[in-house]
Amino acid sequence: MFRVNLLLFYIKFVLVSFGENFMVEEEVHDKAMTASEAVKKFISDGESVCLGNFLQSSPLALIHEIVRQRKRDLTLWSTSLIDEADILIGAGCLKRMVTAFTYRVGGATLPTEFERAWKEKRVEVEDHSNYSIMAMLMAGAMGLTFMQVPITLKYTDIFNKRSFMGENKFKEIDCPFTGKRLLLVPGVNPDVAIVHVQRVDAYGNAQLWGALGTAKWSCLASKKIVVSAEEIVDHEIINSSPHLTIIPGFRVNAVVLEPWGAHPAEVQGYYDMDVPFRGVFFAMDANPESLQAFLYEWIYNLENREEYIEHYIERFGMKYLQRLKAKPYFSAPANYGSSFTRESL
Amino acid sequence: MKVLEMRCFKQSGTNKVFRTVSEVKEMEYETIEFIVYLASREIQNGDRVLLGQGIPIAAGLLAKMTHAPNCILMTEAGIIDFMPYKAAFHVAESTTTKGFSYACDLSDTFTTILFRGYVDLCFLGAAQVDKYGNINSTVVGDYESPKMRLPGAGGAADFIAYAKKTVITLRGGEFVEKLDYCSSPGYLTGGNSREKACFPPGTGPSLLISAQGVFGFDKKTKELYLKGCFPGVEVEDIRKSIPWDLKIAPVLEKIDPPTEEYLGIIRKFAPGLIVRKSKDRTKMVSGVVEFIMGKQEKKKK
Repeated sequence: MFRVNLLLFYIKFVLVSFGENFMVEEEVHDKAMTASEAVKKFISDGESVCLGNFLQSSPLALIHEIVRQRKRDLTLWSTSLIDEADILIGAGCLKRMVTAFTYRVGGATLPTEFERAWKEKRVEVEDHSNYSIMAMLMAGAMGLTFMQVPITLKYTDIFNKRSFMGENKFKEIDCPFTGKRLLLVPGVNPDVAIVHVQRVDAYGNAQLWGALGTAKWSCLASKKIVVSAEEIVDHEIINSSPHLTIIPGFRVNAVVLEPWGAHPAEVQGYYDMDVPFRGVFFAMDANPESLQAFLYEWIYNLENREEYIEHYIERFGMKYLQRLKAKPYFSAPANYGSSFTRESL
Repeated sequence: MKVLEMRCFKQSGTNKVFRTVSEVKEMEYETIEFIVYLASREIQNGDRVLLGQGIPIAAGLLAKMTHAPNCILMTEAGIIDFMPYKAAFHVAESTTTKGFSYACDLSDTFTTILFRGYVDLCFLGAAQVDKYGNINSTVVGDYESPKMRLPGAGGAADFIAYAKKTVITLRGGEFVEKLDYCSSPGYLTGGNSREKACFPPGTGPSLLISAQGVFGFDKKTKELYLKGCFPGVEVEDIRKSIPWDLKIAPVLEKIDPPTEEYLGIIRKFAPGLIVRKSKDRTKMVSGVVEFIMGKQEKKKK
């Protein structure tokens, strides 16, 4: 029986890979699309969405597009969040979220949408630690069914209080080698990862530098990957700097060119965080009406990222956008040469 | 632009909390600056320090620029051995560094650095702290229907478990008999309960800095005790804020306020800290919302 299965699997594999070979050319061109097309094609209601980036270069253009397309009942996977969760909750996109940290400017003076949703039970939240979420994603990315996390988490309410993950939030076993008690989390594979990077080629080879955070594992754990980038570059450029590539092109489903795609978050080498703008957001976030006003002004009333930036310039002036731009400070190039130089090939 | 000018709130409305003692040149400073200064003094030259956002990043920057130029600063986002040029807004803001020597994943920071025991010191902020240094940074009030929902544990639960020393800062938070939610484990129920629970030996909270004084943890019972008061604060003032019978060191340490050099660096490189004062915040929020809502109404007309 097992052999038959294996044979069937093999036949299927051969067929699929042949099929793919024929399609390579077309697929490459299919990957480049607009944010609107990518979100329509790869994110459906009820799916689990993993935010690739860890705070830095947050994929806000894609998040705005999710809001604009009024996606519903999503489960959000992210270790740490600044304003992303508040935007998605405020727009009614989320049903569940798994998170360890959701930014709050502090104090009782500034309530957040996350807090209101928590109190009104509009969103089910599973509280984790940054590493335990990372471990679940790493396990998923590696094709493992579980991952070990520090047993010390057992002495916190992260372990004791359980929401929708229930029994499967943590499990314990005895280590078969040392006999020590181990704490485990399950491996997970979110439906789709969204990530914003500095540059990508048409094949989807995505390069990120700066604070790498959770980007690599979040994407590799997910079943589909949507990449937005500041620039789409020639394959040659990626080929000469493969150490910067965090996701191999063959895993990527969509490539979206989105300059200023992380604003108001920062992208190393492109622009700094727009702190005053985030201040505006948190001020507006303090009550539901002003949050909706923010969503209408900055998301619903605009077609795409280009219009968003135009609106920003109209609102605050070009000077304020320019002020965020990074001055170049180039990394020392790595010599990828060999006895066969590129010319001799 | 009114909205974007809110950056300039930084020095306005400063609350003159304490006056310095005689031997330092008389100058005024904020409680938060004092906390940053005291936290930075915990960093020894050569320490490997894991920093969280807010006070910790400012303290790390201050130490690196003054008495501990060889300390290795890192954040969980995988920015290892960085040279800050201003205090970052959050732990992944590598655009505020002058460069760093090792870029790794969040998973690498936790596993290969923290869990393997290569972190000498970490800092954690707390909303509630109990007698044994257990921390709550998740909810105030009942978990299901809280008074206030806070950011959550982040990486703190693992930092405090594995770092050799942990400094807790309690700026706006409170001391409680029982935490509303235990986000990060300190000395659990005191005594040797932490060792019994298989925490790595020789780890745990080492110091707590509140807005009024500095506290240590008893070697044997692991209970919090008062080490020293800030200038102008009496032991009785501190007792009032603590729901149990606070133990006090036989001889209280004298705590010197920050020198002009330290204050200058804090104000130059971490001006954002002061904006976070609640008085400024309220002003800022109402100003911004009024401005934006006003503009929208105009548009509609």
